[in-house]
Formats: sequence, structure tokens, C-alpha cells
Amino acid sequence: MTPRRLIASAALAVATLALAACGASSDPLADQSAAPSASAGGAPVIVGSANFTESQVLAELYAQAMKAKGVDASAKLNIGSREVYIKALQDNSISVIPEYTGNLLLYFDKNASATTAAEVEQALPAAIGNLKLGKASKAADQDVYVVTKQYSEQNGITSLEDLKKVSANAILGGPSELKDRAYGPPGLKSIYGATFKQFKPYDSPAVKVKDLNDNKIQVAEFFTTESAIVDNGYVQLADPQSMILPQNVIPLMRPDVAGNTAATGAIDSVQAALTTEELTALNKKVDVDRQDPDQVATEWLTSKGLV
Amino acid sequence: MNLFDFLLVPSNWTESDGILDLLVQHLFYTALSVLLAAVIAIPLGILIGHTGRGSFLVIGTSNAARAIPSLGLLVLVVLLLGTGVFPIILVLAVLAIPPILTATAAGVQGADPEAVHAARALGMTGGQIVRQVEWPLALPLVISGLRSATLQVVATATVAAFAAGGGLGRLLISGQRTNNYSEMFAGAVLVALLAIVLDIVLGGIGWLAGRRARPKSKMTIEPVPVHT
Repeated sequence: MTPRRLIASAALAVATLALAACGASSDPLADQSAAPSASAGGAPVIVGSANFTESQVLAELYAQAMKAKGVDASAKLNIGSREVYIKALQDNSISVIPEYTGNLLLYFDKNASATTAAEVEQALPAAIGNLKLGKASKAADQDVYVVTKQYSEQNGITSLEDLKKVSANAILGGPSELKDRAYGPPGLKSIYGATFKQFKPYDSPAVKVKDLNDNKIQVAEFFTTESAIVDNGYVQLADPQSMILPQNVIPLMRPDVAGNTAATGAIDSVQAALTTEELTALNKKVDVDRQDPDQVATEWLTSKGLV
Repeated sequence: MNLFDFLLVPSNWTESDGILDLLVQHLFYTALSVLLAAVIAIPLGILIGHTGRGSFLVIGTSNAARAIPSLGLLVLVVLLLGTGVFPIILVLAVLAIPPILTATAAGVQGADPEAVHAARALGMTGGQIVRQVEWPLALPLVISGLRSATLQVVATATVAAFAAGGGLGRLLISGQRTNNYSEMFAGAVLVALLAIVLDIVLGGIGWLAGRRARPKSKMTIEPVPVHT
């Protein structure tokens, strides 16, 4: 092969690879299907979602509720992590995204000192710049410590304050990153005086559930919307000192959507009807029963009379 | 961020569940599962090699078992039996059996036929032939089987962390979860180093066994190393 032909074929190979890469990366933001004309509900509203089930269901709920109120709304699911979708919100690729109060605050203000739900909601508007917030929901997806029902009854444990009675002989299990988190073992020790015999890291929730049921660990950390908590009848431990940052569901939106009363009214009605239990049930329908987020959302909205 | 940051902090080595603890766990899983695999595979390999029967079925089955993804099998076993040392050893042993079995059977089968015939002509029983002729001739190959099994197990034992079992996989997973690349790097480097060290040690043992198997005679045929 002559040098010239070698270069040509190399260039061709590179071009092919580049093209293939373009096709493979399905950038959810690249495909802006022709923006529909403004209707009675004002400018089109695009609801984005993060890359996990609950966020997708919430985005579908917002979008469908707005559509029912005459807003030209659509959902753009699975955009990515917070770093990615906040940027999409700021550059107007999307206009609404379901968020969580505590983590949203920490994203914009790493040194935030707020701990209770009220404090967090108070601190948020100043932290998020030119973006706007809807009303926070009762529904929250936050970290929670649980014990089995049997262990709770045997040792009289219903709150994190009770853990110091048993912690010397108990093993705590949770995701590996919990180990150094402020609300992990360090917080349990400094705030509740509970020092566990051992911290065991888990990377598969199924394995963690198995070990908790087998009493290989006594206390485990979950998220409040994980269906395993209800399915296994675990006792969620109260957090009287507000060690765990509240993570209530809250819609984050662009100013133009915040000024659209039809849109905010629809979102607010979803926020008002949502509870942690119902969010858990919605997650389960998608994750366990393998239903589509949009169908799950439609069913729920219909049952609440919101569409 | 320096890649070596994590490795250079002494407390990361010595704390509870630190690098030293994880290293010991990793070696423990590796040693125990290769041992379990050897206890199963070597007698079976000798039987197959000596009788020349069943090799298609047994070696075929065990080779097919190589296709089982270790991580999936581990989660399955853990959900059935609970966590602990046993499920991890079991899963890793499944991985270690094929190379040992294949190498042992090939070694015994391939033992110099003239030596085996001569032993039979001398009136040796089947058991004596196995013990005094076939086994010593097969030994270098058996050790090379152990060697490749160990290499695979030491690399795969990282899955133990997924079943809350610790081991050097812990560093990989924890590091990935917290974007701590120097911790992930530490895990990867230590697994690689451990694999190299174990391979050299077993290689040395294999070399010694090879010298013992054909001490002075110039007549014996060199066993052909089989890489599995």
C-alpha cells in the first residue's frame, strides 16, 4: 500500500468510526422534535428526567398532568446525572425537571448548613440562581436506616436514638459510599452516640436484603422509596435530630414555566397528591412489574382524577 | 490527583478493612477455591487420563462451565444460600476446575507410553502405575493447570466484594462509587501484582517438579506444556 493510500484508508477508518460513534450516542437533547406551535397553555414545556426510574415516572406525571390542562408539554426522559440535566435546564434544552430538595441544595451550595425540611426549602430559592421551584411534595426519597420487625421488637428500637443500646454488638450495612458520609457511621456516632461493631459495604440491594433477613447485619441503610422496605416489613428508624438531609420531591423549572399558571397548577396538583408510599408503588410497577413509566403515570393520574 | 495517592497513605493499609485486610481476604479466597478445585479436579483428571474414558463428557461439561459468568453465578448462589465464605469459594472453584481437570487428564493420558508399558510388563498394578509412573510424569502439566487456574481465580476473586465478602474488589467498587480513581487504581494494581507474584511462585514449583520428573535419563520425552 502506498503511503498516500494508507493515509486515505486511515482517514476513511477514522471517519467511519466517528460516524458510528454519532449513531451510537443517542443524545436525548440532540433530537428536538419540531417544536409545536404555542397553544392555549403557552409556550411548549419539555419535562426532563434523570437517569433512574423514579425521576422518569415523575417527569411523565408532570408532563401528562400539564397536557391534560391544555399545556403543550412533552417528556424527555433519561438525560443523565444532575451535572448534565441542570446544564440542559440552564441552556433551555428542557424547561422542567423533578428534583430532590436536599441534594439540589447541596449541588448549588456545598456548604449549606440547613438540616430540616423547612430550612432546606427556605435556603433553596436563593441558591439556585435564575431557576424557579414549584411546591415541594410530601413524598421524599431519602436515606433511611431500617431494622427488621423482629429485631425492633426484641430490642425496642424505633429511632436512631435507640441504636446506641445495641450498636456495640451490631453490624451496619449500606452502600459503600455511606462509610464516610456525614449521615453515615460518622454521624451516627457523633449525633446519636452509636458506634457499630462493623460497617459492611453492599453494592447489590438484593444481597443487602438477604443479609438483613438472615440477621448477618442488624441495621441497614435504604432509600425510602425502595419497595424492599414495605415488602419485608422493615421498621424505618426515626431521625429526631434531623441527621439525614430531607429529599422531598420538588420541580425545578425555568422562569417562563414558573410564570405559566396552567403549567404550575398542573404540577402543583401532582405534587399535592403524591406521597412516599405512592411513589414507592410507582417505582415498583416499573422496576419489578416491568411496566412503562408513561403507562404507570397515566394510570396513577387517572386514579387521582388529574387527567 | 495523583494515581498513587491512595497507595501512599499508610493508614489505608493498616486500618480495619484496609488494604492489608483485603489482601489477606483475597489470598484466602484464592487459595481455598483453588484447593477445593484441585481436590475435585485432580482425582477426576487422573481417572479420566488413566482409563481414557469419559474425557469427552467430563472435560466437555467442565469446559462449558467456563462460560458461566462468575458475577451472575455469585449473586444467584448468594440469594439461595446467603452470604459468607462458602458461596464465594464455590463460584471461584467452578472457574478453577476446568484448567486443572484438563491439564491433569492430558498429563496422565500423555505419560510416555513406553514407560507405562514397561511398568505393566514389570507386573505393576493399575494403582502402582498411576502413583509411580503416570503421576510423576504428569506433575509438571498438573502444576501448569494449577497455575492457570490460580491466575484466573486471583483476577476473578474481585467479585467477592459484590457479595459483601471483601477482597481487593472492594477498592475497585468503593473507588468507583466515590469517584476516587486512586483507590480504584490501587485495587487494579494490587490484583495485577498479586497475579504476577503467584504465577512466578507456581512457575518455580512447576520447574522444580519438571526436574524431578525426568532426573537423569535422556530417553524420556519432554511433557508438552498445554496452555489452557
